[in-house]
Amino acid sequence: MDQTTQGSNLTRRRFLQATAGVAGVAAFGGIAAACSPGAGSSAGASAGASTGASAGAATGTFNWMTWSDHYYDEQLAAIAGTGIKSSITELSDNADGYTKVKEVGGQLDMISGDALWVPKYYEDGLIEAWDINELAVSKHLYSIAREFDFWNSGEGYLGFPFGWSPVQLYYDPAHVTATPDSWDVLLDPKYKGHVVVENQPVEVIAYMAKLGGAKDPYSMTADELATAKGLLERLKPNLLKLTNQATETVTSLVNGEAWLATGNLGTEERVKEAGGPELKLFSPKEGTVGWMDAEMFVKGGKNNSLLRPYLELAEQPEYIAENFIKYGRPLFNEGAYKLLVDKGMQERADRYLFNKPETVLTMTLKGPGSSTQDAIDTFNEVFGA
Amino acid sequence: MDDLTSAASSRWRRYAPGIPGAIALLVLFIGPMLFMLVFSFWETDLDFNLVPNWNVDNYLRFFTVPTYLRTLAKTLVMASAVTLAGLAVALPFTYFLVRYVSRRWQRLILLAVIVPFWTSYLLRVYAWQAILGERGALNQVLMFLGIIDQPSRLFVYNDVGVFVVLLYVYFPFAALALYASLEKFDFGQLHAAQDLGARPDQAFRHILLPQIRAGIITACIFIFIPILGEFLTPTVVGGVQGTLIANLVVNFFRGAQIAEGAALGIVIALFVTALLVVFRKYLRLEDVVTRG
Repeated sequence: MDQTTQGSNLTRRRFLQATAGVAGVAAFGGIAAACSPGAGSSAGASAGASTGASAGAATGTFNWMTWSDHYYDEQLAAIAGTGIKSSITELSDNADGYTKVKEVGGQLDMISGDALWVPKYYEDGLIEAWDINELAVSKHLYSIAREFDFWNSGEGYLGFPFGWSPVQLYYDPAHVTATPDSWDVLLDPKYKGHVVVENQPVEVIAYMAKLGGAKDPYSMTADELATAKGLLERLKPNLLKLTNQATETVTSLVNGEAWLATGNLGTEERVKEAGGPELKLFSPKEGTVGWMDAEMFVKGGKNNSLLRPYLELAEQPEYIAENFIKYGRPLFNEGAYKLLVDKGMQERADRYLFNKPETVLTMTLKGPGSSTQDAIDTFNEVFGA
Repeated sequence: MDDLTSAASSRWRRYAPGIPGAIALLVLFIGPMLFMLVFSFWETDLDFNLVPNWNVDNYLRFFTVPTYLRTLAKTLVMASAVTLAGLAVALPFTYFLVRYVSRRWQRLILLAVIVPFWTSYLLRVYAWQAILGERGALNQVLMFLGIIDQPSRLFVYNDVGVFVVLLYVYFPFAALALYASLEKFDFGQLHAAQDLGARPDQAFRHILLPQIRAGIITACIFIFIPILGEFLTPTVVGGVQGTLIANLVVNFFRGAQIAEGAALGIVIALFVTALLVVFRKYLRLEDVVTRG
């Protein structure tokens, strides 16, 4: 009896010890995983930051927060074959990425960002400035892309330029019979329930701010915001839905449920290729907002020795031309444009202004503003129940 | 002294198995919630920094801007409607299953109920968009049958779509909770009640329902509470008209307005806690563990 009890106690104690041990290991492992700097870089990768393109030596995995059109699977697989892999986290919005880098710092190695967000990252000490010309692949960029003032800190360039587009308005002429030239068409009661825009509150408010004549749609005065709110209230009944990504917008245009939509350059091509109607497009007379993005090196990124070798490979004209064919909007890579011309796709590339990167300077560029919180509040007030 | 040591040792042995769970709860739930609570009393500056400038403005916004209260009220109505509908569908289904279907077929049918869990939640919701959409399967069938002439938008991008998809998503939870309760019920008691003069509805209300109370309450918890935090289904099939309270929270977080989002999140969390306290009055933990 005694022995049985002792045996039972021993078993229970061992069970408790084992349970506590497993829990401890699990908890420690979880915390360690959450705090780990990288997704598993090799010794070569964790060595100090390399200068220049040392693609031959570096192998490992770097952490990258980006939009899904900055890469494609075959490209990543081919580059992974050289030993450089990327662990990608989906980026939903510039503000989202900015706060994420602030929180995790060097746990991320590279992040994509738009236009005036890029200098914001730098001013706040979140990214590195570097000499873009040290990359051989940068010679394929349009020269203007290497010389944007707001991406030049004086100590170096703030990112590797990637793509750009103004936000355009697309419409199905079978249903929108007039020839619109203003944001105002989105508010026309004739199109009730047939308008689609992306679910980006600050951007949607910016469209209405443009229509309302706001000077800076990201830093509005109270009066400008009130005007934008009034326009947003008129827009609401016309909206079918707020899409989460561009592909959803394309789907709505293809299946005919949307007659009007906002989108990047090339949306009409994607709709047509998916079997949808022939769309027309225009740039609103009040002006439009636009984006131009770059890959930024996060300060203190633990695997940043992989970034230059990665860009040397990933930004080659062949990959960028293929990216254009897949996702259809202009990029800053002149080499890719020449390749598209050689492949007989000049008409398409020109239609997307691939050969006119200077167009970005005519757009109201995306950037952090002083009215973000008020804009989201306004958006919630209008789109809540 | 020995007695004291022995009592302490006994207490330790009793509580020790709960320590791993307590640590997990503390690190993964209570800790983050405390952070959220603290942040909700701070503010976000123009540089998107969380600034420890203690105030209750974020809560005042919730209680003074009618949209937030209206959207919370709408969310509660939606959650209540889906919960009631879920019970209304799951109870007859599981009753029939337990009472009239052989054990072998019961397992197969329950497997069919669980099978949707093998696919991603996101995929299931998108699939419903394809079913309910203007050119979706439902409209095609209705047009083929001559019931409608043109595709209808009645089923999607509104509250109807949200209701249907949430009912589909949460039905298995209700069915499993009720099945576990009904499986242990002795149906001979219903016969006995009727032999003693009770009408079928009286037997149902006074004999069956009290004994499957734990299953019903568990089903309510499993449906009602998650819906308070639903944002994907309203986004995909609700369109502009189907917004629920979590969609407004997401807008704040996407815009890096963490303090504001945290306050709204805390309001929802407090509401859920209050509901659980109410449910707890009617539900003993053992009921859930042993019966439901």
